[in-house]
Amino acid sequence: MKHGKHQDVFADRPAAKAASDTKRLRKLAGDWLKQRRADVGLSQADLAARLGLKYYTFISQVENGFSRVPTEIMGAWARELGLEPAAFARHLLVYYEPEMHRLLFGAESK
Amino acid sequence: MSVVAFVRKQDNGEWSEKELSTLGAAFGATMARGAGRQWETGTTENGDAQLYLLGPLPEQACELCVSRIGGRYILEDGCGRLLFEHRNLDRVALHAKAAVPSTSWLMVRAITLWCAIRNTIHEKVEPLLVEGEELFVQFVPHIAALA
Repeated sequence: MKHGKHQDVFADRPAAKAASDTKRLRKLAGDWLKQRRADVGLSQADLAARLGLKYYTFISQVENGFSRVPTEIMGAWARELGLEPAAFARHLLVYYEPEMHRLLFGAESK
Repeated sequence: MSVVAFVRKQDNGEWSEKELSTLGAAFGATMARGAGRQWETGTTENGDAQLYLLGPLPEQACELCVSRIGGRYILEDGCGRLLFEHRNLDRVALHAKAAVPSTSWLMVRAITLWCAIRNTIHEKVEPLLVEGEELFVQFVPHIAALA
């Protein structure tokens, strides 16, 4: 997937740093999701169809690291990837809410 | 014999300058409000073009996404809800502009307006009321005497 940035408007550095971390982690989550999908041999279109989405563009949006897997379809997403929903949600928390993950599960395995 | 050169319709890959300019115009006002708002482009695994409007710092999560699939433009929000789809990008851009979350901006405007109204009341209306009250207190004995 190719990305292009068209505007860079970082007002203050700490916020920019936090944003950069958030984006980087979301991208890592996307890469992980893409890999898991590839493991079960599904295309983005296949997964979208199984999740009841009209277009597969949202799958790409998430895998490119611009959006999160919505909570309401997290269970279904996990099952389509052949993963246990709780483990799937817990793993995504590492990327989406790292501090929450640390508080809930400590420094144990990610 | 003259040959009319038709512009080849782009079905996947990069956004054309014209498409970017149309979408840029739709999102321009939103991005001008600052706070790190920006837009980025990407592609699906099939090479279909996507454009993401990102929210403010620090999350910068996708608020709107415009994708082009087979000459059709798809407008979704950051949760994957399909908002609009059409072959005409101008129409999609119009819907995108309307769909941009602007609650915070409206709230700021509403609060500013409310403060301005309160200030006006405090500065202009209240002295008049106090003055009226003083006049009333002065005239009450006269009115009472007449009655």
